[in-house]
Amino acid sequence: MAGAMQALIYALTRVLAFLLAGLLLGLLLGQITVGLLLALGCGLGWQLVNLYGLDGWLRARNRRAPPDLSGLWGEVVTNVVRLHRRKRYHKQRLLDVFRELRHSTAAMPDGVVVLNDNYEILWFNRMATRLLNLRRKVDVGLRITNLVRDPRFTRYLEAGDFHAPLEVPHATRDGVSLSFQLVPYGRQQRLMLVRDVSRQVALESMRQDFVANASHELRSPLTVITGYLETLVLDPQMDPALLGPLDEMRRQSDRMNQIVRDLLELSRLDAATNEAEFNPVDVPGLLRALCGDMAVRPNTATVQLQLQSDAGLLGTETELHSVFANLLDNAAKYTPAEGSITVRWSVDAGGGAQLCVADTGPGIAAEHLPRLTERFYRVDAGRARSAGGTGLGLAIVKHALEHHGARLLIESQEGVGSRFICHFPVRRVLPDSLEGSIDTTTPAVAAGT
Amino acid sequence: MDTSDLGHHISRRFNEDLEALRARVMAMGGFVESQLAKAITSLLEGDSSLGQSVALDDLKVNGMEVAIDEECSRILATRSPTAGDLRVVIAIIKTITDLERIGDEGEKIGLIASRLATMERPENKYREIKHLGRIVSTMVHEALDALARLDADSAFRVARMDRVVDEEYEAIHRQCITFMMEDPRTIRRVLDVMWVVRSLERIGDHAKNICEYVIYMVHGKDVRHTRLEDIERELQARSRKAD
Repeated sequence: MAGAMQALIYALTRVLAFLLAGLLLGLLLGQITVGLLLALGCGLGWQLVNLYGLDGWLRARNRRAPPDLSGLWGEVVTNVVRLHRRKRYHKQRLLDVFRELRHSTAAMPDGVVVLNDNYEILWFNRMATRLLNLRRKVDVGLRITNLVRDPRFTRYLEAGDFHAPLEVPHATRDGVSLSFQLVPYGRQQRLMLVRDVSRQVALESMRQDFVANASHELRSPLTVITGYLETLVLDPQMDPALLGPLDEMRRQSDRMNQIVRDLLELSRLDAATNEAEFNPVDVPGLLRALCGDMAVRPNTATVQLQLQSDAGLLGTETELHSVFANLLDNAAKYTPAEGSITVRWSVDAGGGAQLCVADTGPGIAAEHLPRLTERFYRVDAGRARSAGGTGLGLAIVKHALEHHGARLLIESQEGVGSRFICHFPVRRVLPDSLEGSIDTTTPAVAAGT
Repeated sequence: MDTSDLGHHISRRFNEDLEALRARVMAMGGFVESQLAKAITSLLEGDSSLGQSVALDDLKVNGMEVAIDEECSRILATRSPTAGDLRVVIAIIKTITDLERIGDEGEKIGLIASRLATMERPENKYREIKHLGRIVSTMVHEALDALARLDADSAFRVARMDRVVDEEYEAIHRQCITFMMEDPRTIRRVLDVMWVVRSLERIGDHAKNICEYVIYMVHGKDVRHTRLEDIERELQARSRKAD
């Protein structure tokens, strides 16, 4: 501040000096006005020259040294230089941080692609070039769906539900699987993470194969054991004291058979990559037959069947049958004989269909609900085993429903009862108008049950 | 011409129309690619239901072709594009025809696969088809990549791959004849295999056609029925001029 004050005083003195010189010149010439005008003109000219110099330097300040100006002009130059230096320092620091960030994302082991709201590529890292065969510079601005064209990927983007990653086999490389995950961020931008999950996929398929093969291998020895046990139980010369244990052995081997069958069914559903076929299935007929079977079982709660719609489904009959049978079976197992089970089949306003199996059993505590469809998951280990379940029923239900694009909802309140709801999407629902075609399949349904 | 050229239109709507059209063609291409992959898998793994589903889904490819065709006519009628834009629309009309044919060949392979699944499988597990199938799928994939990037050079490289396919086709042909002479009981199966190989070879041709449209789109030069060497010379001359 003091420097500026000094400069101002200096400048003012200079103006005064100019004016004084002009006055003297005017007195010499005898024309004061002309002298003063001349002095002012010179002063103005000098200022203009300085201003011009400053402007020229400002335009090329990165290349030229600052002009050596005196007075206020010098002050201005010093200030500009200081400002400029500070700005350059901050810019450099920002740039360094930015570069660091870019280097770290570029070196990430996962592919990263930045997309705008139109799914056009804004930036991608080195790994993305390798995984998706992108080309640096060339591919910026292209829509990602033009280059990653797998229909499943396009559908994933269109659905807009990015909670779970999407796994897709690589377009050209055999045995390579990629996992895509989108993360929306900032202003309408999306971060796409691409990961090579070949190893996980290979392990998963090895696990599936192992379960399938193991179940298959277990089946033949089991058949032999069951066969012998059956003949032994019926043998009249059998020691009566052994009959009890033999009967138990037979029951347990039957259970093992059931587990193996369920495991095989599960691994078949696991291995199915494409959606279930679209064959017409007469759901009301199927439910009637299943509920009829339930009614004649001893010690079972009363079953109420409410058919609010005649609609059928498009799907695989054996799978739907096992879904419905498992749900009913579960309800029957956990509902006391004096309770009741309600089976409701309806079509909602949106055209989707819904099967609801409600029971008045003991209900399930909330903490168990999310894990209920896991394999061999037991809410109450002791009781479930006594009821004779395999622990795979709900896993089969879940997989079979997923295979049909349907969802399973479980609602339960302890002490009141549970509701298992299967929701089928519109494209799987067969409206009533096609009843003619359903009738032809009814006998097969009856035979199946 | 590159994609940034598309951004310089006076009419923004026209621009969006063209972009949307390209996106639809690429989506159709992606679907056809997946059909082809499924068809080959169904044959190699003897999965008859997968083969059937490929044959059924060909209807979707046909639907896409008709829809895109209509969209092209609409653009031609309402926007009267000229120069580069006109070439884009024309090339797209031609491309979707080839894509639809690739879909048809995929359908054929799927049907034959579902039939072959019920028959005894040869000892080499159709290794020759796996090999040829991989070359052809790569061709289709890269042809579509070249279309997406409007990259004439890689389009030319893909077009050159068609020679490999032809040689491979010839080799498998001879091999099949040997099989049939060795054991006449395999004739039925080998004839089916020959149909598949024939389809794959046709798909290679269609992929090559798509590449030629890409070259046409970028350089405005019709290179159909031209020898590869001439195309190469032409491309080099053009890139020199561009430099």
